[in-house]
Amino acid sequence: MPRTLMICAFAAQIVVPASALAQGKPKDDPVAVTSMRNPVDKSYRRMVEGMELFEKRHQLAPRASLRFKLLPRHSDTDMRDIQLEIVGDSFAAPVALAPDNTFALERRAAALKENASVRPNRKAKTMTWRAEIRTPGLPPDTRRLGDLRLECEVGMQAGLISNYRPLLFGLLDPFLREGPEYCRRKDPRYLFFAERPIFGVTLVAGDRREALPVERLYGGASRDPTWKEDLAYCDCEVLVDRAYFLPLGDASWPDDTRIEFEYMDGAS
Amino acid sequence: MRLLLATFLLVGGCAVLNQKTVKEERPLGPAEIRSAQAAAGAIAVGKSTKADVRKALGEAVVVDFNTGYEVWIYRERPSKELVLLFDPSGTLTKTRIR
Repeated sequence: MPRTLMICAFAAQIVVPASALAQGKPKDDPVAVTSMRNPVDKSYRRMVEGMELFEKRHQLAPRASLRFKLLPRHSDTDMRDIQLEIVGDSFAAPVALAPDNTFALERRAAALKENASVRPNRKAKTMTWRAEIRTPGLPPDTRRLGDLRLECEVGMQAGLISNYRPLLFGLLDPFLREGPEYCRRKDPRYLFFAERPIFGVTLVAGDRREALPVERLYGGASRDPTWKEDLAYCDCEVLVDRAYFLPLGDASWPDDTRIEFEYMDGAS
Repeated sequence: MRLLLATFLLVGGCAVLNQKTVKEERPLGPAEIRSAQAAAGAIAVGKSTKADVRKALGEAVVVDFNTGYEVWIYRERPSKELVLLFDPSGTLTKTRIR
């Protein structure tokens, strides 16, 4: 058995979900958490750093609030009834998940002290994460560029992106290490996901309208004949038909720029 | 007189240059088309099938999804693109030129 598989098999035997350990005990009560941490977990500390960045850069989306969102990575990922917890060495605290699988985090000193993780009760690599920042009152099927700029920055700060393989769709940039500055590049390849499969994405600012070239849709698949081989390494795996990049760092597009979507299944 | 001569040389030069350009026009590469506008006019939303489009425009760059939808892309030099969407039944449902 290859060494990697051996290590995975070993880990699978000893990992016990913290939620299982906490069953029957009142939440927030100290529990003896002895399991290894699931590698898909997100760091609570880094997510709080993302929240702090949101406050610092709130001018990008002054009327919006910050939530985080869980998204599927596989077509068979069950996104219903997900239980989400903050899990430290001595406690497990539930996090309320909205029906759209978004959530907000509270600041907890104990969680920071114990370097806790945020953990859904799902297997590793079955889901991905994004920041969710939406200015209220936008027209249907639209987003606002400033919201998405801030989503990128918070997402990078919070370490929400994972499991990209270098060279995937040209996503070579060692951007996972670069942090929120990556989002201020003219053409960062930070993947956003629309609500439904997209046919077109158009930026609108006043009288200026520009459709994104198709190479900015679908994770850049149109420029990469081998894109399907790399798909398993992308957190866009099951969302590739909804994925798009934006010219986030192009200052000629103001934060109030409207992003309009034309969906595959909608009217032309 | 000098002005007339200069104009004559300039016009003549342009004509030669233009002929040369036409002669040296590169052949179309894979998924390339001469005119996105003309290509869009040669196919019909709600009617054309993949086979119809392939026959009219040649092979495209294809991005196919596990939902059954397919996006076909044709490019016109230098940077124009014609993007087509086929639904799972294989019928052309949307087009756009950028």
